Amino acid sequence: MSDGPREPGVLRLGRHSFDVHRRLVMAIVNRTPDSFYDRGATWREDAAMERVHAVVADGADILDIGGVPAAPGAEVDVAEEIRRTVPFVAAVREAYPDIVISVDTWRHEVAREVCAVGADLLNDTWGGWDDRLAEVAAEYGAALLCAHAGGLPPRTRPFRVAYDDVMADVLDRTLALARRAVAAGVDPSRILIDPAHDFGKNTWHSLEVTRRLDEMVATNWPVLVSLSNKDFVGETLDAPLGERLVGTLAATSVCAWLGARVFRVHHVRETRQTLDMVSAIRQESPPARTVRGLA
Amino acid sequence: MILSAALCPSPPLLVRELSGADPAAAELREACSAAVAMLTASAPDVIAVVGAADRTETWPTDARLDLSGYGGPPGPGVARPAPLAVGMGALLLDEVGYRGPRLLRSVGPDEPLSGYHRVAAEIDAAAPRVGLLVMADGTARRTLRAPGYLDERAAPFDAEIQRAVSTGDLATLQALDRALARELMATGWPALQVLGAAFGDRRMSTKVRYADAPFGVGYLVATVGDLGRVAGRQAHQVPKILRG
Repeated sequence: MSDGPREPGVLRLGRHSFDVHRRLVMAIVNRTPDSFYDRGATWREDAAMERVHAVVADGADILDIGGVPAAPGAEVDVAEEIRRTVPFVAAVREAYPDIVISVDTWRHEVAREVCAVGADLLNDTWGGWDDRLAEVAAEYGAALLCAHAGGLPPRTRPFRVAYDDVMADVLDRTLALARRAVAAGVDPSRILIDPAHDFGKNTWHSLEVTRRLDEMVATNWPVLVSLSNKDFVGETLDAPLGERLVGTLAATSVCAWLGARVFRVHHVRETRQTLDMVSAIRQESPPARTVRGLA
Repeated sequence: MILSAALCPSPPLLVRELSGADPAAAELREACSAAVAMLTASAPDVIAVVGAADRTETWPTDARLDLSGYGGPPGPGVARPAPLAVGMGALLLDEVGYRGPRLLRSVGPDEPLSGYHRVAAEIDAAAPRVGLLVMADGTARRTLRAPGYLDERAAPFDAEIQRAVSTGDLATLQALDRALARELMATGWPALQVLGAAFGDRRMSTKVRYADAPFGVGYLVATVGDLGRVAGRQAHQVPKILRG
């Protein structure tokens, strides 16, 4: 494929096609005992399925199921990750034949198993660490998220990371991953890019990629952002984990305004409202009801 | 001759422009400033900054840290920005108002041990009265929230650094294991080798001003030598006195 700018186009996920003005909410569903925000709230399968029911009711477009926390911690090997995710993906697919299912994994072995039971999107937050992931996406006709982790290995934290130009690095790495995915046979309408806030970045870097998100949007690859309750929000507002929703939604508004199309979140209903508000301001969707001054 | 030294860590969060409106680690910042102020107050002919970096190198005396890499404001067009530890040392000197001569040296992690001795010897020979500012961090694996996650070997490793410094037995810093330092993300290891070689076998008077790991990285601030002496006294004799 050429390196020139793409035409903005539909994003295909599963059986769905979403045009450029649709803003999609991806709900986080952790199958982990130790993820940073929910601390194992959906570790049990029944609790996780309850969460699925709740977020679907709240308007989630996509479910993002993960079996390994991003932070360092107890080893989760391939077999354990498969054990945590595959039966659950199959159960969700059975309960919701139509919803888009994403799985947060960097491992091609896991990707293959979840795609076989109905996953539509591979959320490769660790930036192409396993280059066979794209092959699996191609093989199953799945979508692939190409994220920027600054070259860090999975489950590691940034330590005094410096960039000549953080957005240039984000663009270099994510576009290279997107090209690699296309070369591996992934449908170009099923590829997203993600600056991956906080991954390989300090708070200043995450604020900068937020501010300059239009540069990613201008590539015309659909942009996903994952902002929810992250440390860059906490550090900016001096807010502990339980008090980051307002900051998350503020950042969500800015990213939506600048053209991000998918928002990976813990709080579905609040995010849905925020995005609907931005869509109305941008005249991309009408208000729900207008009476004021009109009666 | 190296008569005195200060030891400080080099986390970017010490930089005012990178640390936000209500900066963390105020106590660490004050300890570093105090240590460097004591060093400059000893009125050395030159202050040599030594910090770890990718390789051993001498930097222009006007080299400074480029904050933009860390997301800070672009600096005043530094042609060759100094590596983090060296730049942080230069910044600490600037912040205490030091305007005297300075040497900026980086040391890489893969030198033979003799390489660190050579750097120390070169600095020692730079002037009759040399102040040494060693910018060195401990491990980055002290806690679960540490950049490198928890490694149980990190605390003992940092404790050994602190023991060598607090007892003035600086030469024993040269026994710190290089491979273990790498595993524990103790980025300051090369600079500590220079500190270990700087005073030969002399047992020095030292003062630890800060030793903690509030963010999971070992920070140690200390001063070495009889820094309380008034400038102009026969300061070069201090080590002999202390030796006795």
